[in-house]
Amino acid sequence: MSMRSVGASPRRVGGHGRVTGQQQYVADIHLPDELHVALVTVDCARARIISVDRSAAERVPGVRLVMTADDLPQPVPRFGPQFRDRPVLAVGETKFHGEPVAAVAAETKDAADEAARLVLVEHEELPPVYTIAGALDPAAPLVQDPALRAGDALAESNVLAEHRYEWGDIEAATSDLVVENIYAFPMVTHFAIEPHAFIAAPGEEGLTIWSSIQHPYWLQRIIAGLVGLPLARVRVIAPDPGGAFGGKQHAKFEPLMAFMALRAGRPVRLVLSLEETFQAARRNSAEIRVRTGLRSDGSITFREIHADYLLGPYADISDRVVGKGSYPGNGPYRVPASRIVARAILSHTTPSTAFRGFGAPQVNWAVESNLDEGAKALGLDGLQIRLRNLARRGEKFLPYDTPADGDWQQTVRRAAELVGWDTELPAGHGRGIALGIKLGPTTGLSHATVRFLADGSVLVFAGTSDMGQGSRTIFAQIASEEMGVPLDRITVVSGDTHVVPYDQQTSAARSSVLMGNAIIEACRSLHGQLRDMAAQAYGLDPQEVRVERGVAHLPDGEVPLVEVLQAGLGTLGGELIGNGMARKEAEPDHPLGGTAAFYELNCTAIEATVDDETGEVVLVRHAIVSDVGRALNPLQVRMQDEGAAIMGLGHTLMEHLIYDESGRIRNLGAIDYRIPTAKDLPLEVLSDVVENADGPGPYGAKGMSEGALLCVAPAVAAAVQQATGVVIRDLPLTPQRIWEALDERRRSPSPEVVS
Amino acid sequence: MRSFDYQRPATLTDAVALLERHGPEAQILAGGTDLIIGLRDRTIQPSVVADLKQVPELRPAIDEQDGWLSISAGTTMTQISAHPAIRRHFMALVEGADVVGSVQIRNRATLAGNICNASPAADTAPPLLVFGARVLVEGPAGERRIPIDEFFVRSRETTLLRGELVKSIELPVPREPVGAAYLRLTRRRGTDLASITLCCGVEPSGSTRLAYGSVGPKPVLFTDKSGVLADPATAEDAKLAILEEMLSAASPSPRSVRASPQYRRAMLRVLARRGLRAAVERLRGAA
Repeated sequence: MSMRSVGASPRRVGGHGRVTGQQQYVADIHLPDELHVALVTVDCARARIISVDRSAAERVPGVRLVMTADDLPQPVPRFGPQFRDRPVLAVGETKFHGEPVAAVAAETKDAADEAARLVLVEHEELPPVYTIAGALDPAAPLVQDPALRAGDALAESNVLAEHRYEWGDIEAATSDLVVENIYAFPMVTHFAIEPHAFIAAPGEEGLTIWSSIQHPYWLQRIIAGLVGLPLARVRVIAPDPGGAFGGKQHAKFEPLMAFMALRAGRPVRLVLSLEETFQAARRNSAEIRVRTGLRSDGSITFREIHADYLLGPYADISDRVVGKGSYPGNGPYRVPASRIVARAILSHTTPSTAFRGFGAPQVNWAVESNLDEGAKALGLDGLQIRLRNLARRGEKFLPYDTPADGDWQQTVRRAAELVGWDTELPAGHGRGIALGIKLGPTTGLSHATVRFLADGSVLVFAGTSDMGQGSRTIFAQIASEEMGVPLDRITVVSGDTHVVPYDQQTSAARSSVLMGNAIIEACRSLHGQLRDMAAQAYGLDPQEVRVERGVAHLPDGEVPLVEVLQAGLGTLGGELIGNGMARKEAEPDHPLGGTAAFYELNCTAIEATVDDETGEVVLVRHAIVSDVGRALNPLQVRMQDEGAAIMGLGHTLMEHLIYDESGRIRNLGAIDYRIPTAKDLPLEVLSDVVENADGPGPYGAKGMSEGALLCVAPAVAAAVQQATGVVIRDLPLTPQRIWEALDERRRSPSPEVVS
Repeated sequence: MRSFDYQRPATLTDAVALLERHGPEAQILAGGTDLIIGLRDRTIQPSVVADLKQVPELRPAIDEQDGWLSISAGTTMTQISAHPAIRRHFMALVEGADVVGSVQIRNRATLAGNICNASPAADTAPPLLVFGARVLVEGPAGERRIPIDEFFVRSRETTLLRGELVKSIELPVPREPVGAAYLRLTRRRGTDLASITLCCGVEPSGSTRLAYGSVGPKPVLFTDKSGVLADPATAEDAKLAILEEMLSAASPSPRSVRASPQYRRAMLRVLARRGLRAAVERLRGAA
C-alpha cells in the first residue's frame, strides 16, 4: 500500500486562520463581566518589601480588587514544575525585576494600569546577584531562603543543584594535545510573537483557566493543587499558542489569576506586554570550561566539561534543563573517558526555563568550538575531525543510554556537500561545520482518541499544543493514512483538558513520536472493530478480513473502511471510537530517569565572510541537514529546521539580555533587543533531511525541530575564525565584538588573537 | 494610555491657535509613528492630541518653485522615496527615507515628523543637513524659515517656539550635480535604530559637507571648502586628518546598549571614509 498522506506536504491545518488573523489566541478571548489585571512591581530586582499601601489605588474608578500577598492563603502558596519555590506573589522580598508584589483588577485595562502605579510599595533596594561569579561569591546573598531547601546540602549556597556524569579514566588517557578554554553563552529570550496571556474564571463547576500554555495538563495539576480542587473541577483551555519555544511550558501567572478570580468572583485576564514577557522567561546563560584530549589523528581521548548555568531565582524547569542539556554534552562522538559537572546557579534575574534545545545549545557551543580549536592545532579540518570521532549506528557512544540510532555519517556528508566543503574558498571567506545531538523525551505519556463518524469523517482528540510546529497537520495526516479518509474530512481537537484525553506535555520534539503512536494505536483499535464489522456485514470469519491503511482486505477484494463503517453502522448511524496510548516508562537507575526515545541529530555547515573594518558578518551559505528517520511532512520538517537555524542566528549574532547593577534588563523590549529579520538571513539557506525510517515514531519517524539550533553558533564562529583568524569564545558574535578582536590583533604583534 | 482630548483643526490658523493655547501639553499627530508608541508606553502624556491631517496646506505635496523643492509636512517617507525630482537631485535623502522603520512605518511616517521628533539618530537629518535644507514654519507671529542646522537642539527638542508648526521642508535644487551618499551603522540588516548616521556630499568645486548623527545630542554638519577631500590626487593621510577634525564633535554615550563609544568612534571614521568615497564616485558618475 502506498502512502497517500504521510510523506506528502498538504496545506497546514489551521494555517489559513493563523495568517489571516482569524485564529483566536488567548488575548482575543473576552468573557462577559471580565476584569483586567495589572501587576504591581518595584523598579529593581531585589528589594525588601516594607509595606504595601493600596488606598490610593482603591480609589481609582473601576478598581475592584487590589491583591497583595496578605490576601493569599498563608503561608503564601508556592509552585513550580520541579520545586515548589515560586510564590504566587512576592513574599517579603522581590527576587527579580518584574516580580509582582501586588496586582490590581479593574473594569478597564487603563484603570488597572493607573491603579497599579498608585499602589505604594515601600521598599528597600538590596544588592542583587546577576552573574555567575556574583552568585558564587561566598559573600553573595542567598537567592533562596535555605528553609525552602530543607535537607539540601547546597541550601546555604546559590547552587541549586550539581549534576555529575562520569565514565572511563580521564587520568589514564594519553593524548598528543589537550585543549582547554572557557566559552560563554548569553541570556536570550524566547520572543514568541504571541504574548503570554492568562484568563481565570470562577464558576459553579470549579475554575476555568485559559492560557497560552504548552502543557495544559500539567497546569491543570498545578492549579488544582494550589486552590484545592479536584482535577475534574479545573478546566484548562489552551488555544494554539502563537509560538512558545519552551517559554510557555510551565505556569507563570495562572496561579495568581486563579486566586484573583476566586477572590473577585469574576473572570480576570492578564495579557503580558512584550516587556513583561521579557521579564517572565528566558534561556539559561552559561559559562562552560571544556578540556579535550586528542591524539594527533584527531581522535578524542577524553573530555572534561564544567558547565555553569545561570538560572533566575526560581527553578521553573531549569534544573532539568541543566541536567538533560549537559548529559549529552560530548555530542554524537565516541569519547572514551569523560567527566561532566553541570551546576544550576540561582540569581536575581529573569526566571529561566526551557528554550528550544533544552540546555544543549549552550554546551554544544563550547564543545564544538573546543573541538575546532583542537583540529586547528593538529592541522585537521573541521569535517575530518568530526568524521574521525562520529559514532556509528548501534554504537553505545553515550554510556547508560540509547545507542546511536542513525547513519549519522550520511548527515554529515550531505551537509558538507551542500555547503561545498571541498570547493575552493573565495578570498576573505571562511567555512565552519558543527554537529549536535539532543535527546528526545526520556519519559512520556500520550493518550489519543479517534472517532470514526457515521459519514466517514474523523475526529482526532490529541492533547498536543500546536504552537506553530504543525502537529495538527501531522496528526490529521496519520489519521488520513490509517483510516483512508481525505484530510478535509478530519478535524483535530486539542487544547481543552475537559474534552481531550491526557497528554503529558508538548516538548522535547515528542509529539510526532508519542502522540503520533497513540493516534496510530487508536486507529488500529478502530481497525479491529472494523474487521469485526466487515466480517459480520459480509458474512465472513474475522480471520478472513485484514484491515490496514484505510482498507479492509476481503477474500474477494478490497473495501474502503468508510464503506465498511457505513455497512456496519446501518440505519441507526453513530460512530466507532478508538483509544490509543503511548508510554515511555521511567527508568529510575538512569542518570536522567530514562533513556532517550531517539536522538535529534543535526549537522550545520556555514560559509561566511566578515567586513574587517566593521566586524559585520555576512552568511553566504547556511546548510542544514537533520536525521529525521522519516519526514512525515517534508515541507514542515524543513520549515522547522530552517526556523530553528534562523532562531539560532539570534544568539549567534545579535541577541543577549544586558543587566544593570539593579538587576534590570537594560535592553528591555524590541528596540534594543534585536532578533534576526528576513533581511538578516543568510544569502542562501539549504536544508535537507536524511530518512532511513529508523525512528521509533509512526512509519519510522524521529522527533525533530530543535536540532538545527544546536550547531549554528559553533559553525558560524568556525567560519568567522577561518575568514578572519580571530577566535571568539563569547556569544553573540556582534560586529562590535568581532571588530574588537580584529582591532586587538591589529595592535598586537602576534598574528592570531583570541577574544 | 492616559486619556486626552483629540482635536482635528481644519485650518492652519486653527492649528496654530490650538498649539499656542496648549503649548507643551499638545502633541501633533501626523504619521503618528513616534506619537502612538509614546502614548502607549506613557513616555508622552499630552492633554491634547492635534491631528493635522485635515489642514489643506499640510497635505502631502512635493513642489518645485524658484529653485527650491518644497516637501509639505504631511508627505510620507514612501512618497519622498518615489518622487522623481527628489530621486534626481537628492538621492541621499531617499537613502535615508528608505531605512526609516519598516515599509508600514514609511507609509505613514512623515519627513516633518522625523525632524520634529529630533532623534539624534533620525535617518533623514544628515542628508537634509548636507543638502542645506530649511524649515518653513507657521506660528502665532506668522511664517518664518529656520535653516536645518539651526533646527535641532537635542533629542525631542527643536528651536520651534510655542504655537509653531512645520509647514514644509525646502531643499535648494543644485544648479550643478552634487555627489552625495547616506550610510548608517546598525546592529542588524533589518529594521533598526542606527548607531551611526552619516551623509557626505561633494560639490563640483570640491567643497565637501559631512553630517552625522547618533553620536551626540543632535546631528551635526561640517563643511570643508579646501577641496582636499574630493581631490583624488591628495594623499590619504591628508584626507584623514581633515576627516578626523570633522568627526571630533562626536560624543557617543558610554551608557548606550547599542555600541561602545570606542566602536562608534572607530565606525564613524569607517563610515566617513566610505561616505566620502561614495560621494566622490557619484559626483564623477554624474559629471
